[in-house]
Amino acid sequence: MASATETPPAPAEATSPVARVLKEALGAQVLKVEDFRGDLAVTVSPAAWVRAATLLKTHPELDFKLFLDLCAVDHLDDEDRRERFEVVLHVYSVSGKHHARLKVPLPEADPKLPTLCGVYRGANWFEREAWDLYGVVFDGHPNLTRILTHHHFVGHPMRKDYPTAQRHVLPEPLTWLLKVPEGSAHLVVNIGPSHPAMHGTFRVQALMDGETIKDAAAEIGYMHRNFEKMAEVRTYWQIIPYTDRLNYCSSFMNGHGWALAVEKLLGIHAPPRAEAIRVILSEFSRIMDHFVAIGTNVVDLGAITPFFYLFRVREEIYELLDACCGARLTVSYVRIGGLAQDVPADFADRCRRLIESVRKYTGETDRLLTRNTIFARRFKDVGAMSGEEALDWGWVGPCLRGSGVAYDIRKDHPYSGYEQYDFDVPVGTVGDSYDRYLVRLEEIKQSLRIIEQAVAKLPAGPIIVDDKKVALPPKEQVYSNIEALMNHFKLVYEGILAPPGEVYGYTEAANGELGYYIVSDGRKYPRRVKVRPPSFNIYQPYPEMIKGGLLADAVAIIGGLNIIAGELDR
Amino acid sequence: MGLLDILRGKLTDPTAYPGVHGKGDIITTTVDAVVKWGRKSSIWPMPFGTACCAIEFMALTASHYDVARFGAEVLRFSPRQADLMFVAGTIVEKEAPVLKTIYDQMPEPKWVISMGVCASSGGFYRSYHVMQGIDEIIPVDVYVPGCPPSPEALIAAVMKIQERITKGEQAKRPQGEHRLGAPGDGAIDRRARRAEWAKEDAERAKQGLPPRGVVPIPLRVVASEPGTDNKHHG
Repeated sequence: MASATETPPAPAEATSPVARVLKEALGAQVLKVEDFRGDLAVTVSPAAWVRAATLLKTHPELDFKLFLDLCAVDHLDDEDRRERFEVVLHVYSVSGKHHARLKVPLPEADPKLPTLCGVYRGANWFEREAWDLYGVVFDGHPNLTRILTHHHFVGHPMRKDYPTAQRHVLPEPLTWLLKVPEGSAHLVVNIGPSHPAMHGTFRVQALMDGETIKDAAAEIGYMHRNFEKMAEVRTYWQIIPYTDRLNYCSSFMNGHGWALAVEKLLGIHAPPRAEAIRVILSEFSRIMDHFVAIGTNVVDLGAITPFFYLFRVREEIYELLDACCGARLTVSYVRIGGLAQDVPADFADRCRRLIESVRKYTGETDRLLTRNTIFARRFKDVGAMSGEEALDWGWVGPCLRGSGVAYDIRKDHPYSGYEQYDFDVPVGTVGDSYDRYLVRLEEIKQSLRIIEQAVAKLPAGPIIVDDKKVALPPKEQVYSNIEALMNHFKLVYEGILAPPGEVYGYTEAANGELGYYIVSDGRKYPRRVKVRPPSFNIYQPYPEMIKGGLLADAVAIIGGLNIIAGELDR
Repeated sequence: MGLLDILRGKLTDPTAYPGVHGKGDIITTTVDAVVKWGRKSSIWPMPFGTACCAIEFMALTASHYDVARFGAEVLRFSPRQADLMFVAGTIVEKEAPVLKTIYDQMPEPKWVISMGVCASSGGFYRSYHVMQGIDEIIPVDVYVPGCPPSPEALIAAVMKIQERITKGEQAKRPQGEHRLGAPGDGAIDRRARRAEWAKEDAERAKQGLPPRGVVPIPLRVVASEPGTDNKHHG
C-alpha cells in the first residue's frame, strides 16, 4: 500500500481537501474526521449523507467520480458506540489520485438512510446488499429487494446476532424477474443460472422483440457462500484460503491483496524477496485470468480452438505454482508478512521458460483472433460503455481501461515494489467488447515485461517478516526449541492480534480494484471484512448494456466482462 | 480399433464379457453387455459448474488431460442429452431447486459425480446460505474429495463411473436424506422440503404425470404405408 509506506508529515485531516470542503459545507454535521494508517474517514450525520456524497462527487476540488463500495457494519458488541450500525461509502478520485471514506452512524431501532442511487448509479446493488444482509433501509431506492439471499430467507444474516449456520430452504426459484405487461406478445427468454452462455451461475431474463432485447433483468446470489460471514469467525490467517476462492481464476492475487490489507492494518512490510515473488506470481495469475477470460469468451461465440490453445498456458503456469506451493488452483501460498515458504531453487529458470512459452501462445492467440473477421464483427461496437458512465457504475480494471480511463493501481498507487518496474497501461478508445479484449491481450504482454524485470533482479533474503507476533517460527526450531514451540502454539491458538482500527487495502487484481475493508476491534477475529469485488460493479449495468441489442450480442458482452461468480456473490 | 478388438480383450478385461471363444474370433454375448459397453464408452457429461471446481473441470476437458480418451468429451449443456452430471462447485440454497430440477430432467439411466468438498459436504463454508452436500437432495454415485480435486482425481472418478456402468450399479436415492443438515449454530432440517417434493411427485404420479421437471415425450410410431412389405432393413 502506497499510503502505508509513506507516513504523512501532518495528519490528513488537516491537509486533506476532503475534510476541509466537507466541514465548510456541512459544519456541525461532520461528526468526526479520522486518519488511521493514511486512510481518511469522515463521519457525517444521516441528515447530511446525500449532501456529503454529492459534494464528494461534484465539488471541483474533490472530484470523487469513481464509485467503489458501499457497505454496512454491525457494531453490536462495541460498548463505546451509541449507534449499532454504520454505513460506509468508499469513493476514488481519478484526477486527485486518492481514496475517501464517508461513514454514517445509524441507530438499531430504525436504521434508515436516503438512497444514493441519484448520486452514484453503482450504489443501487450495494444498497440492496446492505438491506439484504443488514436490514438497513434506503429511502427512495427503486427496487429494495433481496439480492444475495433468496426471497424465502428470513432475517438479515450478517447481523452479529444472526447464527452463522442458520439456513432457510428455498422451495422454488423466482419465476419472473421482469414485469411482463399483461397480454404481451413478446417472448421472455430465461438465461441461466445453469446455461452454457453464462459461464458461472448468473441469471438474466430478457424480453424479446424478435431478435432484439426490449427489456432485461439480472439476478445474482447463486454463489453467495458467505465469505464475509465466515471471515468474522476466522483469524487473519484462516481467511487466506477463503480469499483464494473469491476470484478463482487468479487465486494468488486475492491472497496477495488480503495480505497487503492486513499488513497495512498491522503496520508491517513484507521483505523485498517476498514482495518480488508476490509480484511475479500475481502477474502470472493475471495472465492466467486474462487467458481464461478470452478463451471462454470465444467458446461462447462458438470457437473452441483458442480455448485449447489458451488452456495449455494455464497448465504450464499451474506447474510453476505447483512447484512453489503444491497446489494448482487454490494456492494459499501467501502469508501475513510474507510467503509460506521459499520458492524452489530453479524458480528463475522456470519463470524464464514460462515467459517464452506464454509469449509464443499469446502470439498464436493474437494471430487467431485479433484480425479474425468473424471475431471482430461479433465484438466491435458491441456493449460500448463511455468512461464517464463506467466510473459512475464503479467499473475498474481492464473494463474501465477499455473505456479509456487509465486508472491502474500498480501505476497510481504502487505496492509490493511495482514502482521499480517499467510497464505501460493500455487503454481503449471506444469502450466496446473488442477494446476490452485488446486491453487484456496487451496487459498480458505488459505483465511479461514486469515478470522479466522482477526475475532479473530477484533479491535474496528472508521470505517472511521477523516478527514473533505475526510470523510462525521455522519448523526445525519448533521441533527442537521450547520457546519456538510455545511461540508457534500461542500464535496458532490466539492468532494475530491486530490493533483496533479500520483500513481499506486495495490492489490491482485481474478484474480491477480488489479492495478489502477491514474493521478490527483488537480481537483475534476481524469485526468486519468487506470485499470490494470488481465483478459486482461490472455486472451491475449488464442488463442496461444489452437492452436494445441482439440476444447474440448479450452473449458476446458477458464473456468480455469476465464476471467471476465467486467474486460477484462472495 | 474396432468393437471386436475391444471385446477380444485388447483394452478391457475379457472376463467381463463372457463368451469370447477361439482367440476371439467367435463372440457370444448378450445385448445387455453390448449396451453397457456402449454406454460406458460414450458418456455424455453435463457440467453443472458453479465455482472454482468448474475451472479444474475445464482443465480436464482441455488438451492436457483430455477426457476424450475416456469417451466422455461430448459436453452437453442440456440435461436432456446427458447421462452423467458433474456437480462442480458450491451449491447454495438459492441454487438447490435448480439443481434438483436439472437432475430430474436428465433421462434414465443417469449418474452423478460430486466434485470437490463443497458439493460433497459444504466444505469449509458452514454458513447460512450453503447447502451441506448435494446428496441431501439428489443421489450421488461418486464423491471426489479435494478443493478443488486435481484432474487426475476426476479421471479416476470417470473410470469409477465406467465401472459402475459395467456392473449395472446406479445410485437411486439421496444418500444424505436422513441427515438433519449440517451441525452448527442454527442448522436446519431439510426433511420438510423433501417431504414436500415427495408429496408433489406422488400427486403427479396419481394423475399419471412424471415427476416435476420431466417432460414426457411420447414415442411416435410410424405405420408403414399400406401395400409395402416394410423392407426398410432389407
